[in-house]
Amino acid sequence: MATYSTNEFRSGLKLMIDGDPCSIVDNEVVKPGKGQAFNRIKIRNLKTGRVVERTYKSGESVEAADVMDTDLQYLYNDGEQWHFMHPETFEQMAADKTAVGDAKLWLKEQDMCTVTLWNGNPLAVTPPNFVVLSVTDTDPGLKGDTSGGGGKPATLETGAVVQVPLFIAIGEDLKIDTRNGKYVSRAKD
Amino acid sequence: MFPVPRINDSRDVACNVATLKSWQPSASFELIKLRADTLKQIRSFFDKNQVLEVDTPTLSSASVPDPFIESFQTRYIPLTQTMQTEQYYLHTSPEFAMKRLLASGSGSIYQISKVFRQGESGRRHNPEFTLLEWYRDGWDHHQLMLEVSQLFTLLLSPCVELAAPQFITYEQAFQAVLGINPHTVDKTDLLACVAKAGLANVLDDNEHRDRFLELLFSHTIEPSLGKKRGKKRDKTNNMPGICFLYHYPASQASLAKTGMHNGQLIAQRFEVFIDGMELGNGFYELNDAGEQRARFEADNHSRKLMGNNEVPLDENFLQAVGHLPECAGVAIGIERLLMVMSQSQHINDVIAFPFERA
Repeated sequence: MATYSTNEFRSGLKLMIDGDPCSIVDNEVVKPGKGQAFNRIKIRNLKTGRVVERTYKSGESVEAADVMDTDLQYLYNDGEQWHFMHPETFEQMAADKTAVGDAKLWLKEQDMCTVTLWNGNPLAVTPPNFVVLSVTDTDPGLKGDTSGGGGKPATLETGAVVQVPLFIAIGEDLKIDTRNGKYVSRAKD
Repeated sequence: MFPVPRINDSRDVACNVATLKSWQPSASFELIKLRADTLKQIRSFFDKNQVLEVDTPTLSSASVPDPFIESFQTRYIPLTQTMQTEQYYLHTSPEFAMKRLLASGSGSIYQISKVFRQGESGRRHNPEFTLLEWYRDGWDHHQLMLEVSQLFTLLLSPCVELAAPQFITYEQAFQAVLGINPHTVDKTDLLACVAKAGLANVLDDNEHRDRFLELLFSHTIEPSLGKKRGKKRDKTNNMPGICFLYHYPASQASLAKTGMHNGQLIAQRFEVFIDGMELGNGFYELNDAGEQRARFEADNHSRKLMGNNEVPLDENFLQAVGHLPECAGVAIGIERLLMVMSQSQHINDVIAFPFERA
């Protein structure tokens, strides 16, 4: 069993805490001039996304979590699972609803995604920061209105609904920032 | 006083540190100058108060047995190489040597020196740091707290708006935050209090009660010391202040005299905090040689139980302790003081070349 000592604690380190894989968000050494030293860490539970605080006596060891990020190509969704492929080994892997989470709104076939693996199984999926998706439904465009003032909802090919400018029409390809789910621009060819 | 840059956003600081190359200083020249000006002001303060500046060795053949302070070790190698090499320690504070001067009749003295502590690295720690340590001949810790407050007010008031200084006992702080008396609470209630604070399982239940008090103190009490809450919940109204905490449990006396307070044996020791951060520690100095040796031996015994090396006791110091006049002493971390003055979030912002770049 691999472990990390408190003196190896740093942001991004992956630990097993209460049976769940977690990532250190912040590590603070609490050491009074006189007295016992502690490491106070903020950790993100990689399964739930929740951030909690923990304290360890300095010098203690904590079990390491076998968590790694891999870049995989998104292939398709079979209704239950989302399938990914390693671009070089062609090895395929399926992620379920919990692992994919909100990323499902931004997954476009053939896009490269970051898939976080825990003990070799998909734990979380992070879409690329920007994706290009086409509009499947929106109110008719107002030609010539490029002012950007106001907006309207548009449904994209993945089912995601984003707020877009009034001049956007069905069938157009849009660049979307997946981190905030916002329209960036029309996709340039 | 030149204008001090205000760095309020810790993210900016982290970004700043990351983008600089490692051969360059991590502190800005404004803060390098702030350090120079601060040291100048401190020297002028003690000069006016007729406290003598002294210089004692960094290398010592003996070290401090405190179970939670580790010294850097090095070896002296004679040029001839015919003799055995000798073990030396880098001092963790100039306390022992300064007390040898006091015991020899120096009168009040101060020193600004670099000190070294193993393993202490983090947002508020650098393994090598600058300590201002001074002793007042004939004073007790209450008088010394007032002088610390005077010096801090002098140094800080041009940089930050300060609330009035606060003086509270260790017991009052525990009562106010946790509703327990740290001197008399039994182990069961203490463990219950630890669990209630969300700190169960950090320590083994059989550890000494002081470890639990330290855990509670550093997690639930210290962050609020020296912070005057603003009206409503508006954080911008919060104002830093100087907070003195005194009368520690007798078991945490270290090198302080013990005494009675409200029928309770306490350590005549204080610590000073600003904005939730410890800046210094002071004692009404113990001058009973037998008691001092017994405490050191107990410290070495604790080290042994924890699986750490015992350290050679400083016999020169132990001989001097019995000759020490009635006096009070305090040590202040200069980097922490500079952090408060410049509102810095990381100690690396006030050190030209911190440990990672040394």
